[in-house]
Amino acid sequence: MSSTGDITTPRPRKQIDGWRWTGRIFLVIMLLYTALPMAWMILTSIKSGFAAMQFPPQWWPTEPTMASYQKLLDPQNSVGQDFLRFFWNSLFVSFVTTILAVVVAVPAAYAFSRFNFPGRKFLFFSVLLRNMFPAVIFLVPLFILMRWLGLVNTHGSLILTYLTFGLPLAIWLLKGFYDNIPIQLEQAARIDGATRFQAFLLIVTPLSVPGIIATAIYSFIGAWNEYIYAATFLTKNEQLTLPVGIQRFFSENTTDFPGLMAASFIMSVPVVVLFLLLQKYFVRALTEGAVKH
Amino acid sequence: MTIATGHAAALQRADIKRPNVFQQMWASRADYLYVLPAIVVMLVVIAYPIYYTVELSFFKTPPGLQLRDKVFVGTENYSTILSSDVFWKVTVNTFIWTIASTLIAFVLGFGAALALHRDFVGRAILRAILIIPWVISAVAASYIWKWIYHSDFGVLGAVMVQLGLADRQPNFIDNVHTVLPSLIVVNIWREFPFAMIMLMAGLQTVPDQLLRAAKVDGASAWQRFWHVTFPHLRGVSTVTILLLAVANFNSFIIPWITTGGGPSNASHIWITHIYELAFGRQRWGVAAAYSVLLFAILMVLGYFYVKALSGNDKQEHGA
Repeated sequence: MSSTGDITTPRPRKQIDGWRWTGRIFLVIMLLYTALPMAWMILTSIKSGFAAMQFPPQWWPTEPTMASYQKLLDPQNSVGQDFLRFFWNSLFVSFVTTILAVVVAVPAAYAFSRFNFPGRKFLFFSVLLRNMFPAVIFLVPLFILMRWLGLVNTHGSLILTYLTFGLPLAIWLLKGFYDNIPIQLEQAARIDGATRFQAFLLIVTPLSVPGIIATAIYSFIGAWNEYIYAATFLTKNEQLTLPVGIQRFFSENTTDFPGLMAASFIMSVPVVVLFLLLQKYFVRALTEGAVKH
Repeated sequence: MTIATGHAAALQRADIKRPNVFQQMWASRADYLYVLPAIVVMLVVIAYPIYYTVELSFFKTPPGLQLRDKVFVGTENYSTILSSDVFWKVTVNTFIWTIASTLIAFVLGFGAALALHRDFVGRAILRAILIIPWVISAVAASYIWKWIYHSDFGVLGAVMVQLGLADRQPNFIDNVHTVLPSLIVVNIWREFPFAMIMLMAGLQTVPDQLLRAAKVDGASAWQRFWHVTFPHLRGVSTVTILLLAVANFNSFIIPWITTGGGPSNASHIWITHIYELAFGRQRWGVAAAYSVLLFAILMVLGYFYVKALSGNDKQEHGA
């Protein structure tokens, strides 16, 4: 596909080059659209508050400073204490959510892919339908439910809720993956004396690791970035997760844009690193599962 | 394998008299154990809220949400909504927001996926950079763009002034005419990478032999795209567009954090408006009725969504 030289076509080269150049120019535009806002976030975060508030702006910081980062990450002062606590809370909630999501989604996706029990289609559709509904609709009833369960102002309320909004796509993704694992593998294992559950756990699960990793990334990112439920269920300062914590903090300090940009940057780093490290699994899971016909 | 087992199963089903549904359920009782955890979580967090929202939409509650004191008002909440001007304005906004965001994000993502399909130096890095906006939190994205759009120190306005496109710092998000398009730009920034990933995955399933054969037969690049590549991407395109449409219809964070729906409701969409009615003005019953209307629309969308998502769901018989 990449070599155009081996097959000589009657088409003039000029036209092929035209498409290629269109693609290149398009990619450059998209790169600018994507990267410039992020670059501006980083450039602003290393300015002083005074340097950020100039017109015309300093395109390149004349006196770069890490002061905003030091302030946010220093456990000695109160800002740093709060920020690090938010960070830790986010990490904890996202981590637990991810593990539970995998534990719940894997068997469910497997069952939807392999078994044929009454109500299977209905249940699968209901799971998918969950994704249709916006968080806001569930806020009031869930708040009352959490109050009833005694989970308000605990991270448990967030974990339980995040689990459900990550599950539908996770199950759908994994089911596509299982659909493409040949059933003969399990049949062979069954003939050799494995129980159905052993075949699932020892034969199929290892093969679906890319799908499981993709599911895990998806759940983690979703939980890390969630805002609405966290803003509603948590009121105590020491419980807040990063998105809410940052919002509460900077709505009181509306002019500290370098600090806000530094906080946004730090908040983005874990998920971006995680995704970039594991993105091949994500794309592979999509290719081999969901998208394949 | 799918076709073979499916066929055999169909034959079997035709030959043997089907046991009744309870016998089937009993026979496959072990199967339910696998889906049970997922179903329990779903029931608690979904079925109950839906029931509750429908009930609440017929009541008037005091601001503190003391449920004991709610008063049955029939369909009054619904008529309040449908007769208010704000509702229609917000509805128009919602449709502009959803349709524009979805289509533009899809087209940009499709273009990027096609342009990235061919191997070249730096492709992996470029792809990684393009994906980042989708990964970072919408709260961070909202703050980044709020700062870029800032009415005094925003870099976008400054660039426009420097280039002579504006004679003074334009006001992007405090202006009723520009606020919605400005927010759509933010939303697309965050969402086109999703379309890109989906379509990149889809492109890998297009058989190379077909493209090469078309090339040997003298098909132009456009013809190869239109007659070979595109038909293969129809399924994934439908799914992507629906997922984007649902996500956009339900989006909240970007308008809420950036503008809070203002100025004068110009950037309110349904979800932010419901949130404001409930948590801002404590009109729980009206917000619930609003949510029920939203359900109705989503169910229509949901029909297509489920159909597209379960497209590759073939009835198979397992072990």
